[in-house]
Amino acid sequence: MRRRTFLRNCAATTAAAVAGPLVVTDRTIAQTRTIFVNTWGGSWTAAEEAAFFKPFTDATGIRVRTVAPVSYAKLKAQVQSGSYEWDVTAVAQADLLRADREGLVEPVDWSVVKKDRLFPNAVYANGLAYCALGTNLAYRKDKFPHGGPKTWADFWDVKKFPGNRSMLNNAVRAAQFALVADGVPPDKVFPMDVDRAFKKLDQIKPHVKVWWTQGNQSQQLLRDGEVDMMVMWNARASELQQQGHPVELVWHGATITTTMWGIAKGAPNRKAAWEFLQFAVQPKPQADFANRLYYGPTNPDAFTFVSPEVARQLPTYPENAKVAIKPDTVWEAEHTAKIQERFTQWLAA
Amino acid sequence: MAGGLSPAAALAAGLRTGAGRGGSPAAWLLLGPPSAVLTLLFVLPIGLMLLTSITDPRVSFAHYQRIFTVPLYTHVMLNTFVTSLVVTALCLILGYPLAYVMARRTDWVGTLLLTIVAMSFWTGFLVRTYAWLVILGSKGPVVATYQALGLAGPPPKLLFTSFASTLGMTHILLPYMILALFAVMKKIEPDHLKAAASLGARPRAAFTEVFLPLSLPGIVNGSLLVFVTCLGFFVTPILLGTPRDMMISQLINQQIEELLAWGFASALAVILLLATGAILAVYNRFAGLDRLWG
Repeated sequence: MRRRTFLRNCAATTAAAVAGPLVVTDRTIAQTRTIFVNTWGGSWTAAEEAAFFKPFTDATGIRVRTVAPVSYAKLKAQVQSGSYEWDVTAVAQADLLRADREGLVEPVDWSVVKKDRLFPNAVYANGLAYCALGTNLAYRKDKFPHGGPKTWADFWDVKKFPGNRSMLNNAVRAAQFALVADGVPPDKVFPMDVDRAFKKLDQIKPHVKVWWTQGNQSQQLLRDGEVDMMVMWNARASELQQQGHPVELVWHGATITTTMWGIAKGAPNRKAAWEFLQFAVQPKPQADFANRLYYGPTNPDAFTFVSPEVARQLPTYPENAKVAIKPDTVWEAEHTAKIQERFTQWLAA
Repeated sequence: MAGGLSPAAALAAGLRTGAGRGGSPAAWLLLGPPSAVLTLLFVLPIGLMLLTSITDPRVSFAHYQRIFTVPLYTHVMLNTFVTSLVVTALCLILGYPLAYVMARRTDWVGTLLLTIVAMSFWTGFLVRTYAWLVILGSKGPVVATYQALGLAGPPPKLLFTSFASTLGMTHILLPYMILALFAVMKKIEPDHLKAAASLGARPRAAFTEVFLPLSLPGIVNGSLLVFVTCLGFFVTPILLGTPRDMMISQLINQQIEELLAWGFASALAVILLLATGAILAVYNRFAGLDRLWG
């Protein structure tokens, strides 16, 4: 299926190269008053609508239209073909860094973005920090009435905590958790001892029933009891709790990664897009988003608008962040391709 | 597809008659628009893909070297072809009798079967994949039946196995096979079989000597359709199978979407294309691709 999508992309690239300069769409005409945002769809986009898009349109008159789902590849396709479907995208920090190094990202427009309206470390690789996403250990409380796993070492301990397991099909994440399970302190995981990580992963492999790839797939696995403990994104687990499922979330040794806002290089509505980004990282909109979807605000001031009960469940809550793995975005951006190849081979063997 | 004249066949026919008349300009003129479309949507993108595979990020054959030196890629490529062959064979074995009944019964049974197959065909493949997650899941009807029968031991592991993945893909591709077979079988004159019988053929002989050979275009057409579609599958094996059932499109997708390594992805796609072409060439040598068009 995807192969066809790829061919179609190639075809589109070619067609755009031939016909590009002649195409006038309603987008080109409306460019000053509308921005196009690449988003995940579903509950994510619903939270964005309420927290960012609507208030922004109310304040500035600039309309926001969305394109789903998020496609990292389209960032490259758009810039290479010069034909744009969206201006702004949500993107993982390490991915943004790699894209920025490839020249696919629009540099910060300091004529629009005001430094004094930003918090420390808001800008990275020409993007603005959007939210923090936790990748945690989650388990079903009803399967462990005498107390569930509290660390990655427990997750690896199949004698003390028997049951089916599932992990995220992502090389860097899996290796991180393996190292913490093997006794590496969460703040010493990077730079990663990859050989040691794979040795530890060998131990858990026979007990991992599924290596999941999609967020809703992970929820289905835990909700239907196909597995008893798993690696899960924090807001996905919180969503299950809200639906009344007996799910517990562990913060010790979780990874907290930052999702960024980035603008495609040469995007037609980039001025308005920078205005939007500046708006979106302010405390109030960030808090509105976190209250709806439990991914943490990157702006510390946002916590003034978040209730203590919700704050405790967010990745950037100080108590949670303290015990989590400290990410090294530069290391990750440089080593992902190599580790992913080794990991995929290890999985297929 | 089986009824009308394909573009390729039309092209071949056009060329033949054109040559016969000493190259009528009108025939060549008619070829203009389709050739332009094919060039723009097919030849150019594939050429671009070839070019990308040896120029991105720099001019070299390193991508191809990597494909043939890192065991992962040849392993997954081989698995992709074996899986596609197995699924094609299963679709043929399951689909042929069904299509036969559908084509031969002219009463409500044929209509009912056709409706069922068409409804399955129109249901999204993701929906059908998720349905298997429920059916084979630990709380699903299969496990419940197993437990109700009071069989000893834990229920067999069904979900997240190669069995589940093959089952899911066969289910999704089966309607393609059935409809391809049905289209050809429906056109086989019942009188042919009666003639065979009147000449002394037993039903079995009438089937193997008359019906089966006449249905061959359907078999060729359906098998190719299923095989080639299956080569590009990967969502169903991801959701139902194990990492060992990985298909090559999954790796290509990973290179494009997660790693932005378009050069390497292109090289993988080129190898897949060449391997598919080689298989079609072998097939053509022994079965004849022109049978595709009845």
